[in-house]
Amino acid sequence: MRLLVSADIHLGSPIRSVALRNPDLGEKLKRASRDTFARVVDLAIAERVDALVLAGDIFDSHFPDLKTRAFLIAQLSRASQAGVPTVLIRGNHDALLDHRGHGDLGPNIHLLHKGAPTVEIGPAVFHGLSFDTAHVEKSFLPDYPLPAPGKRNVGLMHTSLDGAPGHDPYAPCAERDLMAHGYDLWCLGHIHAPFERTDGPVLAIMPGIPQPRHFGERKGGSVVIVSLGEGPVGFERRTVATLGFSECTVDLRATSDQQDILRSLRAALGAAHVPGRDMAVRLHVISDQLGTETITAYASEALEGIEGVFLDKVKAAPPPRDPSAKDDDLVRLMQAELGEDGFRHAALQQLEELRLVLPPEIRDALDETELEGLLADAIAEVSLTIHGGAAP
Amino acid sequence: MRLNRLDLIRYGRFQDAEIVFPKPASGAPDVTVIFGPNEAGKSTAFHGFLELLFGFRSGTHPYAFRFERSDLLVGADLDLPGRGSLVLRRNSKRTQSLLDADDRPVNDAVVAGALHGLSREAYEERFSLNEAGLREGGKRIAAAQGDLGQLLHAGLSGLTGMAETLDALSDRADKFHKKRARGTVVKLGNDRLKEIGRTLRDGRLTDERERSLRRDRDRADAEFETADSALRQSKQRQAAGQAAQVWYERTQEMTQLEGALTSFPEGPDLDPGAAARVAGLVEKIAAQTARIKDAETEIAKQGQVVAENAVDELAQSLSSELDRLDQMTIDDAPLMSRATTARTDLARRSEARDALARQIDTVLAKLGISDVLVSAIALTPAALEEIDSAIQTCLQDDLSAKAAQDAVIVAQDQLGDAPDAPQDLSALRAAFEAWKLVENITSLQVEHDTAAARLVKAKASLPGTWHALIDAGLPARETLDDVAREWSSLIAELASARTDASARAVDLQSAQADLATLEAAPDAVDIAMTEKTRRQRDMAWQHHRNDLSAATAADFEAAMFDDDGTRAHYLTGAEMRQRLLATQGQVRTAAARAQTANDHLNMLVADQDRLTARCSALAGALGLDPGTSPSAFGARQQALSHAGEAAADLANAQDALKARLAHQQAARDVLQDAADTVGLNGPAGNLAARVQQVLTLEDTARQSWGKWQDGQKTLDRLKRASEDCRAASDAAAGKLGQLTAALPLGDRTLKGLALALPSLRSLQQLTKDYRDISDRVAALEQAIATLSDASARLARIMDIAEDEAAGDPIVIIDQTRARLTASGRADEKRNEAESGRDAANRAKGIAEDTCRDGVDDLARCFEGQGAADLAPQDRVAKLVARDGLRGEHGAADRARLRAREGVDAALFGEELGRLPDAVRAGDLEQALSDAQDARDAARDAQRDSARIYREAYEAADLSDLATEQATLLEELRSGARQAAVARLGVLAARGALRRLAQERRSEMLRDVENAFVTMTAPAWTGVDVWSHAEGDKLVGIQPGGNTVPIEHMSTGTMGQLYFALRLAGYRSFSRDPGPLPMILDDIMETFDDTRAGAALQLCAQIGENGQAILFTHHAHLVALAQEILPDVNIVQMPSR
Repeated sequence: MRLLVSADIHLGSPIRSVALRNPDLGEKLKRASRDTFARVVDLAIAERVDALVLAGDIFDSHFPDLKTRAFLIAQLSRASQAGVPTVLIRGNHDALLDHRGHGDLGPNIHLLHKGAPTVEIGPAVFHGLSFDTAHVEKSFLPDYPLPAPGKRNVGLMHTSLDGAPGHDPYAPCAERDLMAHGYDLWCLGHIHAPFERTDGPVLAIMPGIPQPRHFGERKGGSVVIVSLGEGPVGFERRTVATLGFSECTVDLRATSDQQDILRSLRAALGAAHVPGRDMAVRLHVISDQLGTETITAYASEALEGIEGVFLDKVKAAPPPRDPSAKDDDLVRLMQAELGEDGFRHAALQQLEELRLVLPPEIRDALDETELEGLLADAIAEVSLTIHGGAAP
Repeated sequence: MRLNRLDLIRYGRFQDAEIVFPKPASGAPDVTVIFGPNEAGKSTAFHGFLELLFGFRSGTHPYAFRFERSDLLVGADLDLPGRGSLVLRRNSKRTQSLLDADDRPVNDAVVAGALHGLSREAYEERFSLNEAGLREGGKRIAAAQGDLGQLLHAGLSGLTGMAETLDALSDRADKFHKKRARGTVVKLGNDRLKEIGRTLRDGRLTDERERSLRRDRDRADAEFETADSALRQSKQRQAAGQAAQVWYERTQEMTQLEGALTSFPEGPDLDPGAAARVAGLVEKIAAQTARIKDAETEIAKQGQVVAENAVDELAQSLSSELDRLDQMTIDDAPLMSRATTARTDLARRSEARDALARQIDTVLAKLGISDVLVSAIALTPAALEEIDSAIQTCLQDDLSAKAAQDAVIVAQDQLGDAPDAPQDLSALRAAFEAWKLVENITSLQVEHDTAAARLVKAKASLPGTWHALIDAGLPARETLDDVAREWSSLIAELASARTDASARAVDLQSAQADLATLEAAPDAVDIAMTEKTRRQRDMAWQHHRNDLSAATAADFEAAMFDDDGTRAHYLTGAEMRQRLLATQGQVRTAAARAQTANDHLNMLVADQDRLTARCSALAGALGLDPGTSPSAFGARQQALSHAGEAAADLANAQDALKARLAHQQAARDVLQDAADTVGLNGPAGNLAARVQQVLTLEDTARQSWGKWQDGQKTLDRLKRASEDCRAASDAAAGKLGQLTAALPLGDRTLKGLALALPSLRSLQQLTKDYRDISDRVAALEQAIATLSDASARLARIMDIAEDEAAGDPIVIIDQTRARLTASGRADEKRNEAESGRDAANRAKGIAEDTCRDGVDDLARCFEGQGAADLAPQDRVAKLVARDGLRGEHGAADRARLRAREGVDAALFGEELGRLPDAVRAGDLEQALSDAQDARDAARDAQRDSARIYREAYEAADLSDLATEQATLLEELRSGARQAAVARLGVLAARGALRRLAQERRSEMLRDVENAFVTMTAPAWTGVDVWSHAEGDKLVGIQPGGNTVPIEHMSTGTMGQLYFALRLAGYRSFSRDPGPLPMILDDIMETFDDTRAGAALQLCAQIGENGQAILFTHHAHLVALAQEILPDVNIVQMPSR
């Protein structure tokens, strides 16, 4: 028996990258989460899997659009008509999946919840519980049914496990308890970076987000095809994302000629190319002469002729300084200035003034906790700008 | 650091060039003027110096045009602090590019330490200045508006763009956000985000919106059902009203019709169409009567035509004879046309035949032939061509035979007598060639000597056990490089870690000291202490109240003062407690950092022990002392590898030389034997020369013998060709004789035959034409005779008189054809008339029958009807009118019954009871119209709500807006960080410049003023600092005490101020951390002699505790320097 396992689709949630200012890429990716989900269904049909398993967060609660629900039903019906049933649970973003408010999804689409936690398909029994509210702080595991004897038991759970970095505790669950519950396979959701755990014959798999939405989710981009036979559970990951994220670092310290700079950038950005997939690249440049704006202009020129690679963000930084070097009084004095209470007070005022004019969603970019990093960047920027524009 | 000599070994256009910087005499300033014309390579030298210090840049190299980049090499003799004089070289490799005089790698840290950690760019900015930089620097410091910090920074760093940098960063931040500014990035972004947010809210199909739309749709459905029901009822009411109206009106109409029918005859209703049938029968009877009369007239007329066209009895015989004549042919052409042509053509054809006969006679006479049948000498065209070909062959073969004979004669004359045959010296030649191959051993000897010298050089610096070390196997170079790198990195890291650990310990001590100070301060009182003193006060009060003694009073007073004091300290110590808390935190942080630094240091020391053991093992494998630095491993491994390779090369060279000498002796022996064989005797010493001479003579004889043999072969070939040509000529003459043997020609020679050939061709053509025209004349005569016979037969049939029949046969035949034509026309007319008469008889019979049938039908139409006295058409009109009234009556009855069908009986009864009513129909129609309008409106509302509900699902996708929203947020997030970085950068830079001004003003201002006054006297007497709210400003002082802001100075003065700042910056750096060479490239180009002299004085100040290097291409500046600075070093740029 073969299953296609995915989770955290977040239908309707857009890509968050400045790379989408590129008109070609922007046009292509404005429906990225939906297009990728359609590719997931295509893959399930092409692979003739016995079931499509979705472990929650099919929708994104920030984009509560019933049209998205209609899209989901259309895609799952397509799978059903091709002989692929779907088993799914609600995650913490899935109010649109509420069967009490919106009704059933259709034939051969099994939404598991407290009232109907189990469905049997062929030699396997699928167990799952759904989120009824956006926040659940206790473990769901004690409420999961006992394994069905003589069958292969598959569990679906949307959980942050013991608490994953970057995720609040949602239905936390101890990993060892999960593996000891008696199921053969756990299909998990909620954590967007993929991983897997094994304990003897038991496999727990977190497929990750199939379409990363920003640089922080760059490890995602795939789904999992699980083989559930008589022996140990096997699996393989398949890439489905339309857009991937990556980063590269270029050291331009020993390079001063314009053509050499372009050549170095072209080589680094070209190496980020992945056939059949667009890539948004975060470029880090080490230079003691070139500022962020100049590097961005060079990088844009270097990208001409490289298909499928776009700039997500550019950051230029000078090389780490030898603390004993006598070459830059300004940097030394600026660093000394940072330790002054008066300076920090003034800096926080500047930060607050900017923070308050930002939309609330992104004010965290200028939180007080960001001050140290911003000050380090500020010293680097002053140093790069004055060295880059120095008189001959 | 001091530069003693710069070696441009392979760099730019230079090869093995050097520039020496002599050390100054004791007490003299260290100033060197490098003189050379433009393009002499001053910039090349400066870049070479930089690359020696900092290494080659990657990528395309601007000075790799004479030598490949990989071959570039620069060097220098430097005085380095703590190391003394050191000769270094730098190549363009990526690693280990810095070498000592013996090409051993030198750690870059040696030079980097002497440069105090300066980067290449920082060194260029701080320790070099050219005329353009001086001018531009003067202009750019004006932008600093006299800001002391910026000016001192420009002097120290050589970077003059601080003001522009700060302005650019501020602009960047302001573009993103500025209070009360319009069009900023954040303003535009927020506006757009609001717009997008509104659109998304409106366009998104949320649960609430879907429910609302669904409610609207269901309500519209219900309203439509209600309106539709009302419309149906209204329609039923109107139908009942209309049916009642019809019923009422038709009943009235039927009563009137029944009264009118009483005036018409009785009888059954006529059959449908009876009136038309009666009219048709009346008309039919009249028409048949007229036809009978017309038929009788036609019968009489056709009988007359038959009588007038009788039959011709001879027509058949004449027709047969003419048919036979028309079918006769001559030469596949009809006889008639052929005979007609013959009668006009016969005479002309006969005349042409006679003319041909005369031409044949003329040709025969020309050939001299008589009494011979023409057919005997008229040849076929093929025979004539064969004869022509044979004649041409004979002529060509004769010419070829004569030419071949002439060639034989010429070849015989040129050949001459045969020379002597050469001697066979092949064995001697082979031996001589073999000896030559091994004769020369010079190159092998040179290779041997070179290998021996390389080995001596390679092992010179190696221990005696070098060969054993190689045999034991050398460590891999990569291993040694890795160890050296690891060692170097570890040492640097250790130094850094020790510094870090020390600094952390100092930090900890400092923090602890701060904490102790704060804790000891009287204000460092916490709330527990106040509670404690309050409790003590309360207890003292209790004791005093119980005892009321002096002692308890004193205790209470003391406790009261103590408590009041503690509380006062507590109230005033809020800030102190904050600082105490912060300092406690700093102590904890410093302790943790100190621990981390110590852990790191201990780990590195352990790493060093491990690496030291490994290095000792590697040193042993390389024959080095165990304590040798790993940086020397690579060079020793390379030297050992070179020695091993040199030893192997020497052994190979020795073997090759020995083998060559043995081959040489064997070849000499073989050569001597061959010489003896051919009888070449003589002294052994010059055997090779003698053999060479003999072989050369043999080569000459062999060439002569070969040439004569080739000539003899050519003569034989020409003779055979001459004989072949003669034989061919004879064969062609024989064939021609055979072909012309039968011709009765007088001249049978080749020439005679050639002349007769055209006449024979003409005779052949004439004979053919004569035969053709004779045949044509005979055919024409036969056609004329046959036609005359046919004409005679026709005349006899028509009984034409003989004399008349003997005339032109064509006339007789034409008469016959005319008679037959007339007979045919008469037959046609007669037959047509007989047919017409028969048809008229048949038509008359049919008309009589039809007329009788019509009368019978008319009687049947009126059967059982009255009004028999009327004519048939009047009678039937009366009966039709009667039947019409009866029909209207029945129709009215059916209409009123039909109107009631499907109508509600009760409503019908109600509406019939209201009649007659003139306005009822209008009222019903209006009511129906109103119901219809209401139903239509409800239907539209229902459709609209259904459409809106459907469209909510099908609405345009909002993904693009959501994407734009996300992208815009990302841009604002990034832009906000950049703006914050810019704002904070400006804030930090301004603070740093204030600090710089405070730190350096005392030491630098004196140098600035001294240099500025030296350069500008007597126009300026000094500089001063003014304090403003926005910071300290530097101003110039003119004679009389007048002060001038920097930005109001002239361009030249600002340039001189900039030079003064740079000089002060140099002196500041020279004091701490130490001097470095200062490179000045033609900075005095635009100075007059006075200013140039002042600048040279300032250069001397540089040279007092540092090194000034002044490049110039002006000879007068060289002379001026020698005048101003008597001990100055003048150095000519080297040639390339």
